[in-house]
Amino acid sequence: MIEQAKVPPSLQPLIHASKVNKVFPNGCHALKDVSLEVLRGQVVVIIGPSGSGKSTFLRTLNQLEPITSGQIVLDQVDLTDKHTDINIVRKEVGMVFQSFNLFPHKTALGNVMLAPMKVLKQSKAEAQKTAESLLQRVGLADRMDNYPSRLSGGQQQRVAIARSLAMKPKALLFDEPTSALDPEMVGEVLDVMKGLAHGGMTMVVVTHEMGFAREVADRVVFMEDGELVLEETPERFFHSDHPRLQRFLGQVL
Amino acid sequence: MQTQSSRWLGHGLYLVIMAVLISGVYFAGQKIDYTWHWERLWPYVINTESQDIVAVTDGTAVVDKSGRLSIQPDYGDDPQIIDVYDTLVSRDGDLIFQGDTIARIDGWRFGPIAEGLWVTIKISFISLIFAVLLGVMFGLMRVAHGQVWRNLAMTYVEVIRGTPLLVQIFIVYFFIGTVFDLDRFTAGVAALSIFTGAYVAEIVRAGIQSVPVGQMEAARSLGMNYVQAMAYVIMPQAIKRTLPPLAGQFINLIKDSSLVSVISITDLTKAGREVVSGSFAPFEVWFTVAILYLVVTGGLSLLIQRLEKRLSASD
Ligand SMILES: Nc1ncnc2c1ncn2[C@@H]1O[C@H](COP(=O)(O)OP(=O)(O)O)[C@@H](O)[C@H]1O
Ligand SMILES: [Mg+2]
Repeated sequence: MIEQAKVPPSLQPLIHASKVNKVFPNGCHALKDVSLEVLRGQVVVIIGPSGSGKSTFLRTLNQLEPITSGQIVLDQVDLTDKHTDINIVRKEVGMVFQSFNLFPHKTALGNVMLAPMKVLKQSKAEAQKTAESLLQRVGLADRMDNYPSRLSGGQQQRVAIARSLAMKPKALLFDEPTSALDPEMVGEVLDVMKGLAHGGMTMVVVTHEMGFAREVADRVVFMEDGELVLEETPERFFHSDHPRLQRFLGQVL
Repeated sequence: MQTQSSRWLGHGLYLVIMAVLISGVYFAGQKIDYTWHWERLWPYVINTESQDIVAVTDGTAVVDKSGRLSIQPDYGDDPQIIDVYDTLVSRDGDLIFQGDTIARIDGWRFGPIAEGLWVTIKISFISLIFAVLLGVMFGLMRVAHGQVWRNLAMTYVEVIRGTPLLVQIFIVYFFIGTVFDLDRFTAGVAALSIFTGAYVAEIVRAGIQSVPVGQMEAARSLGMNYVQAMAYVIMPQAIKRTLPPLAGQFINLIKDSSLVSVISITDLTKAGREVVSGSFAPFEVWFTVAILYLVVTGGLSLLIQRLEKRLSASD
């Protein structure tokens, strides 16, 4: 940490995880010494077989999952410090889930407005204005008053992205955002995510969409058995002859 | 699957069966050696007989020009003034003795059955509110993170569900009521609320746990704290799911309230018992009491159904 203090804050990693370990109460060692740095504006894609700890790692980054040992620093705030108010950290890191997790009792607009009003204490008018422009940005201007049950999977996921953006987060975490979607809806969600990436949003994305990784990732990470096996730029990543990665890519491609 | 015509056939068959059942009951009523006197019951529900106004002291009746009646007492007290009456029984200058009927007033008042019904509604309604408060509180404790809370809530639920309500009413009235100097009504409300609260707590717990974990995670990852997530995300969904079982519990509460008659609260059931001995019409009374309970429980059912419909806007 001392060496980093000399570096101006804007050049320091926004997310800095070092030697993170996670052992679940049932004894499952889901993360083994995982370290990762994400700079401001970077997009990091995590791939790996099911059960390799991708979700668990992502969830430790906003402390939905407390870690067993190691350190996670977010914008110079140590999340593992007992004195850190975790709610303040969480509102600065958005999370988009595989199963959308929209609030079913609220309309699309209501979903996006809720947290800004309750957490950021925005006025209703203010929250509504932001929500409307965000929903417009994800292409749902005509769906604002629909309840989630009346929206397709792709539309729900776009509402979920807008909902995260409404908190003006410093970073967004995506946990397989397109895995629960019918193939024809994957594109619309990926397009929104590409737009965010080009707009300079810091993103950590768990996905099986190799095309997305190739196109927008600054770095691609391969995880297996709770370990971070490989971390490379997309070009070098997809040309790597690492045997474990080869085995995995051979299975999915 | 069901066709339109087979459904109408079903309704028709139902009506026939009901008609047979009801006429069966009717003829059974005719056959037994019992004279039905439904008209005797009426005064116990709403009493339309004119009421007597009686003199409070000995004295002389005075009727002034405007028709106002007053009794001038023999020994210098203030006169008893009767402004409102419908028929005059005494005349100006009459000698009046204490307890004499001096005038009558028409109109109506509630009989013991109507008053009992009101007590039943009142005690059920107040208990319902406290039961919901207790139930939500202990339901939230059941899913809280602290083990102490969970243990406390579990103890409450198990103790209350494991003992009969009648015994609880006696304990609340005779023990807790003595310690805290509670009147009958308060003791009755306390016993019913504590009893129903335990069941509501279980319903609330089940409702909260039926909301997918992802909802809590989404709320928390948006920066809401536990209380905000519960209040704005989890509970609104849980409440919708708990309405049907809650309706059942509230109906049980209304019926269970009949047990408070054992501590001499004159609710509908106790009023029924009293009227039976005064009217000599036990069958009529108990049928009426049953129907009145049905009306109250049915009304509540209807109310909750409408609420459910309103909350289902997001489905
Ligand atoms: N709540 C939990 N309790 C116990 N084990 C868990 C829990 N969540 C995940 N795991 C285990 O941790 C490992 C990693 O899971 P996960 O992070 O979901 O993998 P991925 O997202 O890469 O498919 C798996 O072996 C899984 O069984
Ligand atoms: Mg996963």
